[in-house]
Amino acid sequence: MLYFRSEEHVDRWCKAWRLERGAVMTLDQGWRLASAWFDDRRNPAWRRKTIDEIESVFGSIGLTSQFWSLR
Amino acid sequence: MNETDVRIHVYDVTMATGRPPLAAEIAKHFGATRDEATSTLQRLAEGRVLVLQSDGEILMAAPFSAVVTPFAVRAGGVSYFANCIWDALGIPVMLNRDGGIETSCGDCGHAMTIRIESGSVHGDGVIHFALQARQWWNDIVFT
Repeated sequence: MLYFRSEEHVDRWCKAWRLERGAVMTLDQGWRLASAWFDDRRNPAWRRKTIDEIESVFGSIGLTSQFWSLR
Repeated sequence: MNETDVRIHVYDVTMATGRPPLAAEIAKHFGATRDEATSTLQRLAEGRVLVLQSDGEILMAAPFSAVVTPFAVRAGGVSYFANCIWDALGIPVMLNRDGGIETSCGDCGHAMTIRIESGSVHGDGVIHFALQARQWWNDIVFT
C-alpha cells in the first residue's frame, strides 16, 4: 500500500509497473481504516481477526466492493 | 517459551525503542537459547502474527518494520519504520499518540508529510491498494 500525490500519479505508477489499478482511498479513509484495524497487540488476549471481523472493519468505512472481499 | 509471551515482549520492545528485538535478545530476555527463540518466532510467523527475514530475524511486526522503509514515523519521541502507508497510519493508532509520517510519492518520489494531531490526520495525498484483499498474504512483502 503506497502513498501518492494524486490519482494521476497512481495511474502513472500502475502503467510503469504494468499493474491493474487497484483501490484508491483518501487519506482520511485510510486513517479511519487504520484506526478501526490496529489494536494493542501487547494485550494477552489479542488474536488475529476472523474473516467476518475483517470484513466488518472494511464495511464500517464503506469498503464493500468485491475488491475487499476475502471469500 | 510460549507465543503469547514472546509476542507481548516483541511489541513492548518495538514500541519503546522503534525496532523489534533480535532472536538473541529475545532468548536472553527469557533465559532461553537462540534456537528456542527462533522456533517461537517461526511459530508466530506461521500464525501470520510476524513476518521473518530469511535468517529467522523479525522483518515485520505489523505495523512496525525492522528494516528501513520509505515510511518513517515519529511519535512519542521515538522513530519507527512502517511497512506501508496503512501501517504508517497504524503506528500512531497503536501508540495512541500524535505523530508525523515522512514518506514520498510512490510514483515520482516527491517528499510528502502527514501529521496526526488530536485524533485527526492532515495531509494531501491518496492511498493506493494494488492487490485485492484476498491476495495480500500471497506475497506480504510486495503487499
